[in-house]
Amino acid sequence: MKIAMIGWEYPPFKAGGLGTHCYGLTRSLADKNVKVDFYMPKTKHAAGSNNPNLNIKEVGETEIFPYDRPDSKELAGQFFEAVYRYNDLVVQKVKGNYNVIHCHDWLTMKAGVALKEKMNVPLVITVHSTEYDRSGWLYPNQWFIDIEREGMEKADRIIAVSNFTKRVIVEKYGINPDKISVVHNAVYPIPEGHKKEIVLFLGRLTIQKGAEFFLRAAQRVVDYEPDARFVVAGTGDMLPRLIDQALDLGISDKVIFTGRLTEQEVKHIYGISSVYVMPSVSEPFGITALEAISAGTPTIASKTAGFSEAFKNCLRVDFWDTDEMANKIISLLRYEPLHTTMSQEGKREIDLFTWDRVADKTIDVYRQVAGL
Amino acid sequence: MTSVCIYFEVHQPMRLNRFSVFNIGADGSPVSSYFDNKLNEEVFEKVANKCYLPTNQLLLDLINKFDGKFRVSFSLTGTFVEYCQNYKPEVLDSFKELFKTGAVDLIEETYYHSLSSLYDELDEFEEQVKMHRQMIKRIFNYRPRIFRNTEAIYDNRIAKKVADMGYKGIITEGTEKILQWRSPNYLYKPVNSDLKVLLRNYTLSDDVGFRFSAKLWPGHPLTADKYSQWLSHCEGDVINLFMDYETFGEHHWVETGIFDFLKHFPEEALKHKHVDFLTVSEAAERYKAVGAIDSPWAISWADAERDVSTWLGNNMQVACFNELKNIGRKLKENGKKNLLHTWRLLQTSDHLYYCSTKGLSDGDVHAYFSHYDGPYDGFINYMNILQDLKQRVPE
Repeated sequence: MKIAMIGWEYPPFKAGGLGTHCYGLTRSLADKNVKVDFYMPKTKHAAGSNNPNLNIKEVGETEIFPYDRPDSKELAGQFFEAVYRYNDLVVQKVKGNYNVIHCHDWLTMKAGVALKEKMNVPLVITVHSTEYDRSGWLYPNQWFIDIEREGMEKADRIIAVSNFTKRVIVEKYGINPDKISVVHNAVYPIPEGHKKEIVLFLGRLTIQKGAEFFLRAAQRVVDYEPDARFVVAGTGDMLPRLIDQALDLGISDKVIFTGRLTEQEVKHIYGISSVYVMPSVSEPFGITALEAISAGTPTIASKTAGFSEAFKNCLRVDFWDTDEMANKIISLLRYEPLHTTMSQEGKREIDLFTWDRVADKTIDVYRQVAGL
Repeated sequence: MTSVCIYFEVHQPMRLNRFSVFNIGADGSPVSSYFDNKLNEEVFEKVANKCYLPTNQLLLDLINKFDGKFRVSFSLTGTFVEYCQNYKPEVLDSFKELFKTGAVDLIEETYYHSLSSLYDELDEFEEQVKMHRQMIKRIFNYRPRIFRNTEAIYDNRIAKKVADMGYKGIITEGTEKILQWRSPNYLYKPVNSDLKVLLRNYTLSDDVGFRFSAKLWPGHPLTADKYSQWLSHCEGDVINLFMDYETFGEHHWVETGIFDFLKHFPEEALKHKHVDFLTVSEAAERYKAVGAIDSPWAISWADAERDVSTWLGNNMQVACFNELKNIGRKLKENGKKNLLHTWRLLQTSDHLYYCSTKGLSDGDVHAYFSHYDGPYDGFINYMNILQDLKQRVPE
């Protein structure tokens, strides 16, 4: 079986779950003797593979790789242009005998659709997030929605990262549910560090990820747990507003904004944090929660987060219910048996979330569409 | 003769209100705010209509129809009786009607369905048993002779205490842990005291209690006729069928045919001439103990492990359990009598059960019975309430 996979990002450079997913999936597919040509934009950081079944093929040259919509108009213009240019280049460059074209999210959908028509090969798309998620369900942009809908309609099969996302695809994009398979994401476990009294937020600082709710909960916590420190790791268009908010809430001495972290720094902060909070307004899956849990860090996640459909050992809150979020943060800091039990049971359950399993389920989908 | 001994556990816990860390020590709220009266009333109303009232009526009809040849036993917890008195006295009346037939026996247990039998000292356990005894005396003018501990928790120490308190028999789980190769269909005695031990035949009990509506089970559909055949082929003196009363209409809905099964069961069973029905007291009187039971560690009827790990299986549960014990010690030392009832309502084993993190198969059962979003949510709520109660007790 030979697959042309069209990606956008790939470690060491990545901005979101899409890159993590492509990395885990392609490596496990290659281990299972599926030949994968992984097409991606050319970056400064060379991505490589040491498995002969997996070839990373860099296409074109472009410098801007945000996962989300950039804030400034000028940057946004360059970004969309870069996406178009990349999609066009991919259509020219992908050549060979493939059983399946597999692409990811709106960033690569145009190329996927064009290649399907040009080469007459079945198309699989994985939906990691939709425009509704990224806009936090406020003013979604029709331009993205149209690209997404076209891709979903033309695809022979859609992989959704959760039932939550499958529901969005059915209800908002009008796609036949029989065409959609749900494959939950996985994680490469991260080592546990020496725990400090750190409550962690990690993610893009966009409306979708809900960091503002994290800060509001933090303000409630500090009166009860004065030693607790709150780390906001990541960057995004909301950063200046969040810094202002921390000042307004009077907790700027308790909150640390780290900016973008390297992969090593990310692992370190997961390892030493005591609580991970994922207050996303919309979260199709939430790989970062699995990463935190794998590092022995108990996690409080938004009730709608896709991963929590399948994962039991976490706490769940409504993202807007910052009092309840604070109640759970304080409890985790205060009640040691709760922390220990969640940490241990969580790590045990994480063992079920392997990329090996994701690859198996993805191969099932390939077989169905390719008639193999 | 093979006797069939049917016993139903009838219990409802006082479920807790949402109680966050911000409520701990908040001024002015009474301890009654710990309990979610609205939810409790709703659940009770639902279960009373689906299970208690219709099943009591059916049992009454059956006892009358077979002129007392069909006999059953009940254990009603103190919290259950309080529910009846607070929300639906007709439920308690229907139990009184049943008891008046003379074909119904009542069993003793701790008033609060608690784990007090596992405390270091057994004084609290004894007090709760006596409370239950007084309640049964007051309502039914009866003194039970058979004891069954919360969730059939049993060890040598408990057996000794129960014998010392004057009971003739005790009920527990017929697990291989204490039986080894032996059959549960006989009476036994504890190694250390003079008491009859009645052992639940868990296979036949769970055929009705758990598997009745399981379509993939080879025994499905279970008919009264088929089940009676199975019973009639059993070796032994007495087959103990012990289950939650909510089996009828609640765990298995009316649509599964569970009431039809019960309706036809006495008739089908009594077709076999060597089968009769006995209450637990009668069984303990009629049959002799054939061997000794040694249980240095606590067993129970719960989950696959048949031990106390359902309530004390993780650090969170042990922490709550220890906190409860410590609060109690202080309460008793300081003579804070007004908080005793609240403390005891918090001892009901269900609160610890909600904090269980056991694996998939049992975890599903736990989730079914819990009103929390998982064990961690349950722990936080329960522990917050314990912290609040602790603050109300002076050092």
